[in-house]
Amino acid sequence: MSLLSLLIFLPLAAGLLILVLPYAWQQRYKYVALAAVGIQVIMSAFIYLNFDGNAFSGIDAKSKYQLVEQVSWINLQLGRLGSLQIDYFLGIDGLSMPFLVLSSVVMFIAVLSSWEIKTNLKGYFALLMLLNTAIMGVFCALDFFLFYIFYELMLLPLYFLIGMWGGARREYAAIKFFLYTLFGSVFMLLVIIGLYFSVQDPITGNHTFNMLHMMNPDNYIPGSIFSALAEQQIFGIPARLLGFIVLFIAFAIKVPIVPLHTWLPDAHVEAPTPVSIILAGILLKIGGYGILRICMSIFPDAAIDSAWWLGLIGVVSIIYGALNALAQNDLKRMIAYSSVSHMGFVLLGIASITAEGISGAMLQMISHGFLSTMLFFLVGVIYNRVHSRYIHDFRGLALIMPKYTTFIMIAFFASLGLPGFSAFIAEAFSLIGAFTSESVNGLLPRWMAICGSIGILLSAAYLLWTLQRMFFGKTRLMGGEDWKSKLTDVNGREIFVLTSLTVFALLLGILPSLAFDKMNASVLELIRLVNLK
Amino acid sequence: MDVIITISLLAILVLYLGLFKAAKALLPVTLVGLLVALGLTFNHWDLANNTKSIFSGMLLFNNFSVAFSALAIISTFLILMLSKDYFERISANVAEYYTIILFALTGIIIIASYHNLSMLFIGIEIMSVSLYILTGIKKRDYASNEAALKYFLMGAFSTGFLLFGITLLYGASGSFDLTEIRNYVASSEEISPIFYAGILLSIIGLCFKAGAAPFHFWTPDVYEGAPTLITAFMSTVVKTAVFAAFLRLFYISLSSVTLQEFWVPVLVVLASLSLLIGNITAVYQQHFKRMLAYSSISHVGYLLFALIALSSASDSAVFLYAAAYTIASIIAFAALMVVQKQVGNDSFDNFNGLGRKNPLLALTLTISMLSLAGIPLTAGFIGKFMMFTGALSTYHTALTVFAVLNAIVGVFYYLRVVVAMYFKDAERNELAVPVYFKIVLVVSTLATIIIGVYPGFIADLI
Amino acid sequence: MNLFYFIAFLSIFFSLLVIFSKNPVYSVLYLIVTFFTLTIHYILLNAQFLAIVNFIVYMGAIMVLFLFVLMLLNLNEDSEPMKSNLIKVAGVVAGMCLLVTLVGSFRALGDSDPLILKNPEIGLVKNLGKVLFDEFLLPFEISSILLLSAMVGAVLLAKKDPKKI
Repeated sequence: MSLLSLLIFLPLAAGLLILVLPYAWQQRYKYVALAAVGIQVIMSAFIYLNFDGNAFSGIDAKSKYQLVEQVSWINLQLGRLGSLQIDYFLGIDGLSMPFLVLSSVVMFIAVLSSWEIKTNLKGYFALLMLLNTAIMGVFCALDFFLFYIFYELMLLPLYFLIGMWGGARREYAAIKFFLYTLFGSVFMLLVIIGLYFSVQDPITGNHTFNMLHMMNPDNYIPGSIFSALAEQQIFGIPARLLGFIVLFIAFAIKVPIVPLHTWLPDAHVEAPTPVSIILAGILLKIGGYGILRICMSIFPDAAIDSAWWLGLIGVVSIIYGALNALAQNDLKRMIAYSSVSHMGFVLLGIASITAEGISGAMLQMISHGFLSTMLFFLVGVIYNRVHSRYIHDFRGLALIMPKYTTFIMIAFFASLGLPGFSAFIAEAFSLIGAFTSESVNGLLPRWMAICGSIGILLSAAYLLWTLQRMFFGKTRLMGGEDWKSKLTDVNGREIFVLTSLTVFALLLGILPSLAFDKMNASVLELIRLVNLK
Repeated sequence: MDVIITISLLAILVLYLGLFKAAKALLPVTLVGLLVALGLTFNHWDLANNTKSIFSGMLLFNNFSVAFSALAIISTFLILMLSKDYFERISANVAEYYTIILFALTGIIIIASYHNLSMLFIGIEIMSVSLYILTGIKKRDYASNEAALKYFLMGAFSTGFLLFGITLLYGASGSFDLTEIRNYVASSEEISPIFYAGILLSIIGLCFKAGAAPFHFWTPDVYEGAPTLITAFMSTVVKTAVFAAFLRLFYISLSSVTLQEFWVPVLVVLASLSLLIGNITAVYQQHFKRMLAYSSISHVGYLLFALIALSSASDSAVFLYAAAYTIASIIAFAALMVVQKQVGNDSFDNFNGLGRKNPLLALTLTISMLSLAGIPLTAGFIGKFMMFTGALSTYHTALTVFAVLNAIVGVFYYLRVVVAMYFKDAERNELAVPVYFKIVLVVSTLATIIIGVYPGFIADLI
Repeated sequence: MNLFYFIAFLSIFFSLLVIFSKNPVYSVLYLIVTFFTLTIHYILLNAQFLAIVNFIVYMGAIMVLFLFVLMLLNLNEDSEPMKSNLIKVAGVVAGMCLLVTLVGSFRALGDSDPLILKNPEIGLVKNLGKVLFDEFLLPFEISSILLLSAMVGAVLLAKKDPKKI
């Protein structure tokens, strides 16, 4: 049992413990969960400190991964088809390690914000811990089948968390979220099977689900469906391109990109605060991570061919998300759309396939992880107090909640890209990557970078406008005096959460090398692999 | 062979117990007898897997038969555990019901181990005749009477097709023996046209029994009209048995490449129709039992994938899928019986708020629905995965994409029950779940998860 | 050969009459005649045992039973419910498809020579018994289960329930 397995299964054990604890102790469940996640944070900090980003660049060689575990898991004899060999194969490199830290921190905050949950605590914390297990698994898995299992395993707890503890239209939001993601992932399964039949383990000669083997063109069986040389076609489309598109769509639904984003606002609005935090803070990142780890690495040729489209989708997401955010009345919905906009930068950075762009995309995901967590937590604070989130229900909050207003100003300025905060570095790097792409590899035209920067302008517009409407001016509240007495300023637990998130955002903004140093080698290795074709 | 003898003697023993009014002993004796039969089944387990056929080629009790017989016996065991106090409510002739179920099981074991088409026919007849009767045991219930009559007429009709098919196969090849038929196909330069007609008619006959579209029209009414316990038996054990028969005939006798070119397109059409009709109609159902009936049609469609991608891996694929489907369905039917008995109606609204009042029942039913829908880490996912893997390995890409779309539709309607149980609140009392039911629910749920997480331990059985 | 064609014509003719006569009692009577022609076919094939069984069991016992049931239920009137035209058309199409398949495959056999049995004795009781009690002993024995279950079931369904529910 190494560190990664411990990281993955510790929450599961905590969840089972919660399940067997008697109902009488239900006020203590949250401490069990908090303890498990706290240990996770310490472990991931330990992993971070001991992570050697330069010697172990990862990507396509097992020897370059750290904390590798490989155990045979499912082994079925299939006669003519050979044997079905699925490994329990874990490992981390510069692409996945930052997300482990991010996930454990966001989870910790999600548990802290679960104090508001009052009903059916046993089920709630058990599901939250199951979700935690699945998330950690996704970031560690190097066997595609294992990855898929964890990826799907995330769906169910989220479905129940939204459906059982959500708002008025929770049933609709939950099934919409579920079907959207499932739609992407079942087709992903077909590509996984196709890849399985195309790839051979160079040592044993069996078919394999090992992602690292799938990244090496030499392992493809000549004439197989996804072999680059065979140039097979499915339904008249080159097979490799189709495989790339299917995988991309599966992850893009998670990101989410613009035509496939409609589940996100509904899910966010209906979900309870902790679930919103997890959705925005971690789940969206799984989409970006999947595109980097799987789409780009396994189908580099198709990735280069479709880079222009990826960039375009990124730009459209940035602008469309921002414009939508401008038009929202519901604070939570606005932040949900701002997530769409900010994740567009991730896609733009990835599409550039330059070192700056991909590093920027990675940092943007991490920074957005912290900042969106902070924003949703802040929304949760007022929603908990008065059960309303409509922007026009509030006015002049700064007078009655000064500390809260400080934090929300920090969060807003950080996410609109004020220098000194992480989002600035991240967005700047993504845009630099997109801008230099034309001269470096000619994949993205310059106007995409320019359009992307308009997105920053728009985000400044909606955030500052909201700030002005809700917090400044004379205090006028929808609920009158009743609300005024309920809207107490942030308490100690909330200050702790918000301060720590602020520290993370500032730290990454002032010392981005904290993240860049760890992932730089992996990013360069990924670019080398993609350009190798 | 000893398994067949044991179970039929057990049936007669139960009949006598009924005669001597030993009503209390019926269920325990039956269950113990089934355990003995299960033990005898595993006795035939042969690691080298080179069992010879017995009784001048009538039966071949190899690992394939052991696996499917064991599955049939175990699922019958689980279903009979649900039968405590069930038949008593219908009429006083409880012993006869057990007897007939056991006779049906005998037929099923013959079907799983036949090596001669005459045995196939007799096995299917024993099974069907018993089922006609079991469907109609609620004599005062019009739905049950209608179901029995419908099932009898349709069943007799389909048996006619099967018999005609067998006759034509015999007419062309000159033998009922599976190996002889294969030799005929391999040795003759030109296969007689009546052989093809024979294949077609056998497919029709078997599809009738399995309930594949477009020969499915009897299933919804029969499944709904029959007593729920019998429906559970029909839609799980019987379906599995018919597929074992299907697979054995096609794998041993009809697997040559020229023949595959003939029947694979037919089965592709049948599979796609079953998926489409089963799933689309299931979406519109308001009653749990009817939804299960329609969804069982779609499962036949998935099972047909193993035949379309016929290879030596097909048997373990069918076995895994059938096991997953059977276990999950037993949970679903057990839950249905509890709800039906205490609420009187099985529309989805009657499941509202069950998650709060009956956590165990709701949890197990949820897991069974997830397994039927094919969500990872349940047995159903592994089954579907094997089916899709097989179909893709033979380049049936379009069919697989179609099946995947259907699987999404499936998720939608399977989750309706889950939605009702957890997301909708209703004023309701806690349902009493008898201990026997709890055992079945827990055991089946554990099996579903264990197969889902570590499928190796049952897939290697064949 | 001419005899065969004549008998075959009669079988088809009478079986059509079974379907088309409106009165169920006539139908049964025609069915008996059809079975009789089939018996003659068996004799032509030198299958004496089958011919006798067909004559006694099907024509004699089962059909007479049918007739009694029909008369007891008083079904001799024209009480057939109207079927919709769609079902009739569908039925005709399906039936024709089956017919075409069968006729096609039989025609393609191209074997219009009169069938000469390799072993003319095969249909005799003695030979049949040898096969039945040697090679096909198991199916023969297993049929007992079929009969037993059918018997139990028949009693079960026909017996009057003492308990009124």
